[in-house]
Amino acid sequence: RGPAGRAMAAAAFERRVLRRAAEHHYLRVRLELPDGGARPNAAQFKQLVVTALKELHGEVGAALPVDVLTYEEKTLSAILRVISSGFVKLWSALTLLGFYQNRRCAFRVLQTSPFLLALSGNSRELVL
Amino acid sequence: QNILTVCFSVGYSVVALNHVIDFKEKKQEIIKPVSPSELFPSLPIVQGTSKKIKVLTRLTLIVSDPSHCNLLRSTSANIRLYDIIAVFPKTEKLFHIACTTLDVDLVCINVTEKLPFYFRRPPVNMAIDRGIYFELLYTPAIKDSTMRRYTISNAISLMQICKGKNIVISSAAERPLELRGPYDVANLGLLFGLSEGEAKAAVSTNCRAAMLHGETRKSACGVVYTVKKPRKVEEEETAVPACKKAKTQ
Repeated sequence: RGPAGRAMAAAAFERRVLRRAAEHHYLRVRLELPDGGARPNAAQFKQLVVTALKELHGEVGAALPVDVLTYEEKTLSAILRVISSGFVKLWSALTLLGFYQNRRCAFRVLQTSPFLLALSGNSRELVL
Repeated sequence: QNILTVCFSVGYSVVALNHVIDFKEKKQEIIKPVSPSELFPSLPIVQGTSKKIKVLTRLTLIVSDPSHCNLLRSTSANIRLYDIIAVFPKTEKLFHIACTTLDVDLVCINVTEKLPFYFRRPPVNMAIDRGIYFELLYTPAIKDSTMRRYTISNAISLMQICKGKNIVISSAAERPLELRGPYDVANLGLLFGLSEGEAKAAVSTNCRAAMLHGETRKSACGVVYTVKKPRKVEEEETAVPACKKAKTQ
């Protein structure tokens, strides 16, 4: 950091590094239900997320503050917000969920970010 | 075939199709693996790169008796056709033999029931030195809650002994819905007690290393991959003494 530090001191810049400053993590997820049964509405979707947390992490996991910010019933995709300390728990609970009302299902996590704005663009969907 | 299509859409670049042989039944013969070109006339391209997806074939041997291991030593022609060979030991002695002497790439760790034996450090360290990887499955954890407990408890006890090295996490998916994306699986590694870097390696670099280990079995001594290295080496060497001088002055 020697020469770089000297250059910065000459220009009078201050560098601040924030670690873990984001309070919430945002996830864009999609539920895959291949059979043509009834689709869950927003309340049932939230119930499903809480059930997944409860199955894997118990009561403490189910009590994690999770919010469903948007939910589209047509495509079964949603944006979830969770507190940063519970991010790994939520993601692992969604990954290991296998059944919704005795129907096989799967959660596909499309994007995650500590900033909501970052979820608006998806480089994987770019058509090159 | 459906499963493979889902694999490609989710973002995997190399897939291995597994063929399981159980030795408890009599008269098991190792059949030729299904060639991937029969399944897919043209393989789709990996997301984001311009290379095609690779499909490899893999053989898993469930051994519960030392005599079953003789098959690996025999020069059966069909074994050579598989890219990766994995062994699933059922007893402690077989685990020791698999880690130390058997010529395999992966040692499967049972996740569906409580381990009948405890891991000990010497065979695990020998396996790490030989380049053998330990494999954990995650699909049983999706199906059943008791299996979830066994998966996590077995994984944690393995982590305590091997400290997170040489782990590969794979799915034994039989349906396309049982598959999960690579980042999801890396997150599961965090649940098992791996650190973040190790968890990502368990899905990416360790798998590639296991693949290369399989390739070394086909060749006589080893595999050498050449990578173009930038010509900065000489400049770095001259720069280092200059910095040292600056500090002492």
